[in-house]
Amino acid sequence: MGRKKQGNVVGKNVSSKNSEKLQNPFKVIKDVFKDGDIVTKLSFLILGFGNLCRGQIVKGMLYLLMECGFIFYLFTFGAAALGKLVSLGTVQQSKVYNETTGIYDVIKGDNSMLCLLYGVTAAVIILLFLCIWYSGIKSALKVQELKNSKKKIPGFVDDIKSLFDQGAHKTLLFLPSMGLLVFTIMPLIFMFLMAFTNFDSDHQPPGNLFTWVGMKNFRTILLSGEKIGKTFWPIFGWTLIWAVFATFLNYIFGMLLAILINKKEIKLKKLWRTIFVLSIAVPLFVSLLAIHLILADSGSLNILLQELGFIDKALPFWTDATWARVTVIIVNLWVGIPHTMLITTGILMNIPSDLYESAKIDGAGPATIFFKITLPYMLFVTTPYLITQFISNINNFNVIYFLSAGAPLTVDYYKGAGKTDLLVTWLYKLTVDNKDYCYAATIGILIFVICSTFSLLTYRRTNSYKNEEGFQ
Amino acid sequence: MKHSDRMEERKQYRIIVPVIALLTLLCMFLPFVKWEAGGISYTGFSLLKECFEKDAYLTKTLGNGTVTKSVSLYGLYRVVLLVPVIACVFAAILPIISHRRSFYRIVSVLSALSLLSFLVVLFSIAKKMNALGLCSELFMVKNLCFGYWLGLILSLVSIVAAMKATKTSPAYIILITMSIIWILPILWVILTSFRGESGSYTPYFWPKSFTVDNYVKLFTETDQFYFLRWFLNTFIVAICSCIISTFYVLSTAYVFSRLRFKVRKLFMNVLLILGMFPGFMSMIAVYYILKGLGLSQSLAALVLVYSGGAALTYYIAKGFFDTIPKALDEAAIIDGATRWGVFTKITIPLSKPIIIYTILTSFTAPWMDFIFAKVIMGDDYANYTVALGLWTMLQKEFITTWYTRFAAGAVVVSIPIALLFIVMQKYYVEGLSGSVKG
Repeated sequence: MGRKKQGNVVGKNVSSKNSEKLQNPFKVIKDVFKDGDIVTKLSFLILGFGNLCRGQIVKGMLYLLMECGFIFYLFTFGAAALGKLVSLGTVQQSKVYNETTGIYDVIKGDNSMLCLLYGVTAAVIILLFLCIWYSGIKSALKVQELKNSKKKIPGFVDDIKSLFDQGAHKTLLFLPSMGLLVFTIMPLIFMFLMAFTNFDSDHQPPGNLFTWVGMKNFRTILLSGEKIGKTFWPIFGWTLIWAVFATFLNYIFGMLLAILINKKEIKLKKLWRTIFVLSIAVPLFVSLLAIHLILADSGSLNILLQELGFIDKALPFWTDATWARVTVIIVNLWVGIPHTMLITTGILMNIPSDLYESAKIDGAGPATIFFKITLPYMLFVTTPYLITQFISNINNFNVIYFLSAGAPLTVDYYKGAGKTDLLVTWLYKLTVDNKDYCYAATIGILIFVICSTFSLLTYRRTNSYKNEEGFQ
Repeated sequence: MKHSDRMEERKQYRIIVPVIALLTLLCMFLPFVKWEAGGISYTGFSLLKECFEKDAYLTKTLGNGTVTKSVSLYGLYRVVLLVPVIACVFAAILPIISHRRSFYRIVSVLSALSLLSFLVVLFSIAKKMNALGLCSELFMVKNLCFGYWLGLILSLVSIVAAMKATKTSPAYIILITMSIIWILPILWVILTSFRGESGSYTPYFWPKSFTVDNYVKLFTETDQFYFLRWFLNTFIVAICSCIISTFYVLSTAYVFSRLRFKVRKLFMNVLLILGMFPGFMSMIAVYYILKGLGLSQSLAALVLVYSGGAALTYYIAKGFFDTIPKALDEAAIIDGATRWGVFTKITIPLSKPIIIYTILTSFTAPWMDFIFAKVIMGDDYANYTVALGLWTMLQKEFITTWYTRFAAGAVVVSIPIALLFIVMQKYYVEGLSGSVKG
């Protein structure tokens, strides 16, 4: 039995590769059923029975308690919640004229939103219980085997102790994964499901019900010629253009700045760096809102230029699509260059100096040195950084929202979307301003698909992913 | 020997530097060129003189009855422009006598000053002449302020020449220009925070009057917005979420870096996938879950939300833990330490940079985040955080009265964060470069 062996290895061999192999849970269940005696088999129904019978009283009681609690939940709330998840509510809120009081009474109907939420919660709880159940039957078999081979059966105190040693990962991961489960995974499942409903501004609970519509939202956004479809593709295109420019311009200019400061003859290196770090340290929304106001139609810059006679009418920083797009990219340089400068400074110093010296002897100019030595070296080292930067630029909410808020708005686009809107800012507007949750969720999924495709294509090829234990 | 070599090298500049300085001086006396329908006409000093006279007259008549604060244009002209330029000429003569490095230094500093004064005069004379009605058209483009533009360029050339003579890198010019661009918006916020005139848009950079009222009112006027309370809210949230997130991040990173268990790879892949969804995509769901827990519109909700997803950013800390030699752990385990003991007694004490980085990033997040705060707090002003509160001040209904106070609030928020960043810069960079290597 390979499994038995592995169970022992986990504790003793820290870096064993063997222990990382994931087994097929169904096979494990089958094995437990096959190898188990009658007590173990009974544990399938009465969780913790095996542990109870063989002396692990506290552990067995805990398992049993959890099962009872689960069954109680299932019968009181869970089953009903799951049932409503299928229909998302059937009774619409209605108003009935009450003759005695002379007003319309609101008769409460189903709230589709809550149906969905409780349904998802029930599903998650059931999944969690299945995991507990799985560990319960495995523990039943383990204790049976220990008994048969006449080894000492660990008591509750031993179990607790092992939680700080062999099982330390369970202790350490418990709270973080609970946090993730409640505030990341569950909301994500919830939103994921929402993409398959018609929960838009016309179907708002509690007044109205919404229901499952399958892939309709995806079809509307991606394929149909409706306004929302005509909005998606241009915004998607602009998001990609933005991400490419924002990533590479910041990268190149930030690196040039770092090279400039790193030069031997430059003094007060720390002072220069601090000046640029200052712009990182000031909260982003403060500096971006300030820049937005400076560049506004009646803002300081435009009025100054007009007074001095350089221009006759205000430069359309936020009112012309092309101007606005170029402006956000340039202002983003202001935000991004210091970051790149900080990051690349250390790496630049690591480039072997003999490379530069020999290049100089061969008569290479500064441009040649940059393109033939510095850039290739940096690209080699910082590819993962570039990928993460690219993805975070696709999701760059702050810069766009505080700077232009998507302006200029256009009637060609779906409600409230503008020419500089990225997919994420559009998602935000759809959620907060328009309450078109189903479209927002669909776009969220599409953003995920775009980002994960990019990362899978590139990230998995990098050395750091392939060779995780390489330098340990 | 070497010293005199450098002197010799500098010698070639002894003519060019004074010549440029003299030319700059000459530029000040070049005529204004006026572009008219008939062609170019040189108004020369007459226009400038007229400008001075009118200006003096204006100051006088105003000064008769009321107090006037405006500086006389002539005074401005004399002090701002003449002094640095003439000083520059004198300094430029020095290198003829001796080729000391410091002389050239003085020249370059003075040239920089005269560059600045040319800029000031260019703008102020243009404004003044328009105000006095001496030029019906706009001054700077249509009627070229020819001499001043030339002077501007020449003083730039003078700087470059002096820098060349002292072998100072011209990179300084780029760095100084860039620093100005990077500092300007920040300076603008600071100036606005001390501005005496209210209102959002002003057509000028330098405020007409200064006051600390904005700061005082920001903290004392509590009938609409309660800034002090927002500040404390944010501080509490930041402290709590920073403690929780740091614990989450460190323990997750340690587990994935050092412990080997069956579902490890699966967990890591799940976290990788979760990280690719846009973070606030599920904000509505988070809101309803918090409502279900009875926590909506409370600070605890914010703490939970900010720290809940912290484990997703474990990989930077993991990259750091990976570099701590495993032999240390193994030795400790042979000596009878538990995994928990290794984590708390060996790994944590060795990871100061990454712990500080994690604390720094998680502490600053609540000061900057606005999305979740907005979704969770709704219109409950009392529980706002500073980011959300300041953003609210800029909404249409508040902007005219609250604009300068917004700037004051922004300064108040930025100071602690900026200090933290500058002091902890080293660790921040270490953490960031950890993320670069993946």
